[in-house]
Amino acid sequence: MTGAVDFLHEAAEDAGPTGGGLDLGVRSPFQLFWRRLRTDRVALVAAGFIVFLVLVAVFAPQVVDLAGARPPNAPSKRYFTLGKVGVPSPTGPSSKNLFGVDPLGRDLFSRVVYGLRISLEIALLATGLSVLIGLVVGLFAGYYRGWVDTALSRLVDILLAFPVLLLALGIASACSLGNGCVGGLIKPGLSVVVAVIALINWTFIARIVRGQVLSVREREFVEAARSIGASNLRIMFREILPNLVAPLIVYTTLIIPQNILLEAALSYLGVGVRPPDPSLGKMLADATDVFDTAWWYMAFPGAALLLMVLAFNLLGDGLQDALNPRSARPR
Amino acid sequence: MSGTTSMRAGSRALLAILLPALALVAAGCGSSAKKGGALTVLSQGDIQSLDPGVEYSQYDYMAVAMPTQRALYGWRPGDRKPSPDLAAAMPQLSNGGKTITIKLKSGVRFSPPVNREATSKDVKYAIERTFLPSVGNGYAPVYFGDIKGAVAFQNGKAKHISGIKAPDPHTLVIKTKKPVGVLTTANALTLPGSAPVPRGYAKKFDRGSTSTYAQHVVTTGPYMIPNDRAGNVTGWVPSKRLVLVRNPNWRKGTDDRPAYLDRIVFLAGNDLSVATRRILTGTSLVNGDFAAPPVADFKLALERYGSQVSITPGDSFRAVTLNTKVKPFDNVNVRKAVAAILDRNALIATRGGPRIGQVATHYISPYMPGYQVAGGLKSPYDFMSNANGSLALAKSYMRKAGYASGTYNGPPVLMVGDNASPAKDTGEAIQSELQQLGFKLNYQQVPHEVANSKFCQVPKQNVAICPNWGWAKDFYDSQSLIDPLFNGKNITQTLNNNLPQLDDPQLNGAMDRAEQIPDAASRAKAWGELDRTITGLAVEIPWIWDNNVNERSKNVNGMVNAFDGTWDVSYTSIK
Repeated sequence: MTGAVDFLHEAAEDAGPTGGGLDLGVRSPFQLFWRRLRTDRVALVAAGFIVFLVLVAVFAPQVVDLAGARPPNAPSKRYFTLGKVGVPSPTGPSSKNLFGVDPLGRDLFSRVVYGLRISLEIALLATGLSVLIGLVVGLFAGYYRGWVDTALSRLVDILLAFPVLLLALGIASACSLGNGCVGGLIKPGLSVVVAVIALINWTFIARIVRGQVLSVREREFVEAARSIGASNLRIMFREILPNLVAPLIVYTTLIIPQNILLEAALSYLGVGVRPPDPSLGKMLADATDVFDTAWWYMAFPGAALLLMVLAFNLLGDGLQDALNPRSARPR
Repeated sequence: MSGTTSMRAGSRALLAILLPALALVAAGCGSSAKKGGALTVLSQGDIQSLDPGVEYSQYDYMAVAMPTQRALYGWRPGDRKPSPDLAAAMPQLSNGGKTITIKLKSGVRFSPPVNREATSKDVKYAIERTFLPSVGNGYAPVYFGDIKGAVAFQNGKAKHISGIKAPDPHTLVIKTKKPVGVLTTANALTLPGSAPVPRGYAKKFDRGSTSTYAQHVVTTGPYMIPNDRAGNVTGWVPSKRLVLVRNPNWRKGTDDRPAYLDRIVFLAGNDLSVATRRILTGTSLVNGDFAAPPVADFKLALERYGSQVSITPGDSFRAVTLNTKVKPFDNVNVRKAVAAILDRNALIATRGGPRIGQVATHYISPYMPGYQVAGGLKSPYDFMSNANGSLALAKSYMRKAGYASGTYNGPPVLMVGDNASPAKDTGEAIQSELQQLGFKLNYQQVPHEVANSKFCQVPKQNVAICPNWGWAKDFYDSQSLIDPLFNGKNITQTLNNNLPQLDDPQLNGAMDRAEQIPDAASRAKAWGELDRTITGLAVEIPWIWDNNVNERSKNVNGMVNAFDGTWDVSYTSIK
């Protein structure tokens, strides 16, 4: 985590309005960033793969149709084999079911496609929410300093002191029964998972943002804005915030895969999405029971999860390098 | 047996390929039973109690009640009717079945430190103490409640139950207010609550708010739990290990049980999948409380170790319950629609397919009295006739219920089920079948115990559908498959077993009358007819009559007792 903070300080200087003139002012910071990113083939492939995943997720019904697969929640005993001892077990990959079927006879291909969709949906929503909370808290803490900073920072410290997975499990199971929690605001199902993940992950963003704001608020243009009588809110959101966009993008890209994995972990432990919706984590959990007889049930959801997380991580690394060439890894 | 049959598959077993490298060659040549040797039983959970007055679960019967205690009557492994155990003969009835006289064997003695003969006074005390709050027995009011003076004793208004007399050490007389069929046929007298408890020794332990007799229990059966000189039990470490050794005071001449084994060890806390593989590949091992292995292990077991797997009818059923007090299931046609759409073959496939049980068309299972009267394999009802489910028929019932489109369009209904395989898979299959009828479900998946004790068995929770309910007989009398589940008087606020909350005065009356029929044949007919009537109400849709699946190591000469559906360790030997 500290590494990320270091580079973000520098990246912000590079990308900020005052720091962008390094190259004789010919190129904007974004152009510089793009020039660097363009040469990073790994990151580009990862980005391409992510675009592909997002398209698959958005057009899941069409993708499933196109592949000639059955819808994800259609059990069928037709795809069981009784074997020589008369015990039904799911069949493996075939032309009818590209990835095989699960122990209920549901098509695994369409469940993986819809599982990707749900994973991405949760990860993006949760990440968006945690960035929003983290940004606001970080801005206020860094800008006002003093007791506001103390109060907010201690809150962050306290939240960070909780064992993350246990806290998430507790909240998720408390909100997963009956009519949900917080007066029905958080209903069982998707919204619980999104809320839990956002609640846990905003603290990292808040810390990063606070650090950035502490340094940016001392810059001349902030002084200038203040001297012409700009309000605090205007300074925070119009003057300081634009300087935080680049590091935020990088950091967001890096916590998306974390959130995907957290969703998978929660679903694995049984407090994630609800049946019959497919979730990659839940499929992995269920697959352990039948791994001997149905390897495909673990292999395909596992591979999908692995590739998705890997792509986000590689893209994140690429963005980090492009924004901060001084810390670039040797190529 | 009380409550539900919890045969859920256990936890994850990613690295389950465990090969105990035991190269022990089975001694003996596979000939008939040999005396001696030790057997180890692997179980998932542990027994609940060592107290014969408390024991009421399948595993308690297997591990404690059957090998260590001698109730008045017992079950030989292949029998489906009681035979005398402590009693010398079947009960003699007089006074229209209201007086039951039982002669006891002589020479049956308690294990150390009591060491004396068990008499009718000890049986009288045993039955009396099942009513003590400190003992906390689960069935006394249901089966012994109509004994004269039982209510007064239970309420603390009498020192003894006046209707139980011990005129001499080997005679017991039970007088009831009205004929009680489960007593006259001796069925309820096989329950461990009728096994003798030495009054003078046990009374001090039964005082106070919770009896401590379990920690000092003495036995009359072929085995006992090791104890010290004062009688303190040393052979049980809860949740870990229970040991049985021979009871030195047991005499072979008084008992049918051969009791081949010298020592039996029960180990708790096993993973189902790992335990199954250990048993099949190891030596001197059998399964304990798990009645069926996970589907994948079941397949492996049959494929590679077929001769070590025993499959026997379980005399139990699983059902989807519909709460008649919750809309829309107050409407009989909606309930029939649900019954019609259920693809019972697909549900059975989630548990392991046709080897694991057969399609149920009503409640009383094939080997229970009254099965043919109830309909046998063929159901008289169209909504129970197609085991693959019928959407068209279901929709026609929905239209009869007033849903013009044939599909449900009301608010979501609450369904609470298990969160572990295979019950979880069954629940999800039911969910998808109901969705075809337009049902939107608020489907909560929770641990098995929570689903039952916190939701399904608590009427206040208003759970509409319970997909993972199951019920097993208490004994070979079909009252135990019908009465606790559907008699209005059995609706309770907690641990309720009448999940549909069926409370029909006419049916209640018919069940109360059937309880009083003294002879077995007429009882079978009465309960069979009640089964048929209740099945027609579609309040609880049975979908499988389970088989019990038991596994043994190659060198174990196992014997399954049909009564509790598990290994009878008193008849099992090492080859």
